[in-house]
Amino acid sequence: MNNVGYCSPFVPPEWIAAFGWSPRWLRPRAAGARDLATTHRGLCPFAGALVEQVIASEDLHAVVLTTACDPMRYGAAVLQARTDWPTFLFNLPSTWQSNAAGRLYCDELRRLGRFLVDLGGRSPSPDETRATFARYDAARGSVRDAWPVQSSRQYAEMVAAVRGEGRAHPRPSTVENATDGVPLALLGGPLVEEDLAILDALPQLGGRIVLDASEGGQRTLAAALPAEWPGDDPVEALRRAYFDAIPDVFRRPNDRLFEWLRPRLAARGARGILLRRHVFCDLWHAEIERIRQATGLPLIDLDMLHADAGAPAQAIGRIEAFLEMLRGGRWLVARG
Amino acid sequence: MTELPCKLTLDQWDRRYDALVAGGLREPSYGGPLGRHVDDGNLRLCKLQMDDSPAALRLWNFLLSEEDRLADARRRGARLVGVLKDLGTVPVMAYSLDRVVAFYPDGAWWIPCVMEQSDGLLAIADRLGVDESFCPVRAMLGAFESQAHFPIPDLLIASVGATCDDLSAIAQRLEGMGHPIFWWEIPHRRPPEAGEDAVHLPGGCVAPAAQVAFVRDELERVRQCLARFAGQELTDARLAEGIGRANRVRRLLGQLRQMAYSAPAAPLPALEMLIAEMLAIHFCSDQNECMAVLGELVEEARRRERAGVGAVAPEAVRVFWLNPVADLRAMNVLEDAGGRVCGTEYLFSHALDPIDEDVPPTEALARSALADLMVGSPIDRAERVCRDMRAFGAEALVISRIPGASHCSLEGAIIGEVVRQRLGVPVVEVEVPPLTDAMEPTLRTRLEALVETVRDGRTP
Ligand code: SF4
Repeated sequence: MNNVGYCSPFVPPEWIAAFGWSPRWLRPRAAGARDLATTHRGLCPFAGALVEQVIASEDLHAVVLTTACDPMRYGAAVLQARTDWPTFLFNLPSTWQSNAAGRLYCDELRRLGRFLVDLGGRSPSPDETRATFARYDAARGSVRDAWPVQSSRQYAEMVAAVRGEGRAHPRPSTVENATDGVPLALLGGPLVEEDLAILDALPQLGGRIVLDASEGGQRTLAAALPAEWPGDDPVEALRRAYFDAIPDVFRRPNDRLFEWLRPRLAARGARGILLRRHVFCDLWHAEIERIRQATGLPLIDLDMLHADAGAPAQAIGRIEAFLEMLRGGRWLVARG
Repeated sequence: MTELPCKLTLDQWDRRYDALVAGGLREPSYGGPLGRHVDDGNLRLCKLQMDDSPAALRLWNFLLSEEDRLADARRRGARLVGVLKDLGTVPVMAYSLDRVVAFYPDGAWWIPCVMEQSDGLLAIADRLGVDESFCPVRAMLGAFESQAHFPIPDLLIASVGATCDDLSAIAQRLEGMGHPIFWWEIPHRRPPEAGEDAVHLPGGCVAPAAQVAFVRDELERVRQCLARFAGQELTDARLAEGIGRANRVRRLLGQLRQMAYSAPAAPLPALEMLIAEMLAIHFCSDQNECMAVLGELVEEARRRERAGVGAVAPEAVRVFWLNPVADLRAMNVLEDAGGRVCGTEYLFSHALDPIDEDVPPTEALARSALADLMVGSPIDRAERVCRDMRAFGAEALVISRIPGASHCSLEGAIIGEVVRQRLGVPVVEVEVPPLTDAMEPTLRTRLEALVETVRDGRTP
């Protein structure tokens, strides 16, 4: 049981692995969550389900959460106040334009390293670190442009494996359904298990995902690690690949999210956006209008609560109507 | 014979005002009867009960004339800085400069309450896609869009990082609407690691020296930004003077809080105390006048304390109040239910604690900013609440939920658990929307139940 769970793309799994732990990308089930997620009004259901998953888990040794949003910050406090779970709260700066913000990110990686050693891990030698980094870098390279794939689920699983044990994937040979259906981009926060079932239904509904820009998808894959580490410091290399490169909604300012999105939507020919955001997630919620304006694409706001039994069917119904409008070019009329 | 303090409705106040004027009341330029603010749309005044002292009159007039004061400052050539979120630090820097006036546009939080939603700000925010799942700070978005309230600032400075998602998300929208923002980072305050250098912060928290240094560097960036903006060097000497003035305000508030929350009979009601505390964050846009207003309140409280008279019955149950209320009326409801406020944490305790004056100014300001209870763990916040509850002899805790606020979903549970365990006092969590009228009976019942629980548990 040497798994260390995490769910932020800014936490480098190779850093966890270098210290002798197995990183595990957490994707909780929302429907099973009962206590936190349903009894605390206003709590993001993802954060609630995640904290519950950690508390109930039998195969995690520790968890790394970040300060990117309030629910996670307070979720970490719940773990600290109510359990003796080893919890590392990573101070992830929102700003990025000053050098100081990047330095803070580096300091937090070093502090994470000390936490992992105190937990019983080992201090890696430079050679071990290089080897581990190279493995993860190659694995990421194998999925970065692995598109089209058979299904969104397949892509999500591939990326989760890369973010976990750093397993590289051969480019999928079969690409069934890859060219049928209305091309859509998936954008937004992290997915819960149940979201995958909804994405599975897309081909039958006449849609397909051509860009996974959700929290666990392609958008948040680290850039390639630099061949030469600045100052021969692994932490600086991680900063370049993660902190300096990943566009996200919580960053201030967050213009890079839009800069990342626009050319990719065009290149992949996306005709609409499925925005997956969790109820009470202010960060994505507030940006919906801006995303609409910046991309010029029709968008459907999927804020389903899987704790409600009818949520999946309702979401599928809404997506079906959305696709119908896109196919019929009736979007503007429908919105107007 | 000493007149007993009492609370007045708006009509009663206006009659009292005439009597005070006839008796020779002297007022500052923004003085006048409170009723005139209703003509400006501040309809909530009609539902409030306000303290009957001339000091309270001046406080209300000072508060309700802020938009005029800002417009006037701009007419007179002052430059306006809109500060977002840090609640108490950047204004100290801005007021160290000449001809710069700083205020918190986040203060629009209260406009829907004070104007009983006749302002339409929440409807504008709805239209912009920022609905009631956000806290009342979304009114700020409406105020920027309508430009019908405070003047649009010449510069916006926002702290982000370990701050609430509501404000961060809405500030980003503001920038997207064409209001550029200078962002600075406030990290999540963490406990120092074993062997790591630590700094004691005002208010009792401890932070790693490295975090204080980080914030100091961030505030250096803010300092440069402000100096460029004002075309004036923001020297250490100026900052030190600015800190000195801010501390005078904080000390006045300290005296006031001490009397109001610990005297056997509360010399001032909870509502006026809430407003007085709010003055600490940006001095209601006039630092000198702020001191004068507070000075008069201190005098009034002292006079009443000496006379042994209070604005609330001495047997009232002593309640510690956590979080500001979106509807000011809730403070009246507490007192009607038999409670009184004995200690508060309105999200800005760090703006009440004096800033260190024995270290370089940016170091002192960094310590103050990092002492913000909202940037650390809610467990730290709970510990501060416990300390203050003990100090003021509070018998119960009211956790006032702010509708839609991202921190409110879990903080109440965590803080409530700690306070119950440590102090063994009753805790109640209530939600206070911008207008409580529809749910006032429920709020009253819950507060009455709390009061009864405490009374039942009192030893005879
Ligand atoms: S009330 Fe809470 S959520 Fe709203 S702006 Fe203030 S701190 Fe943020």
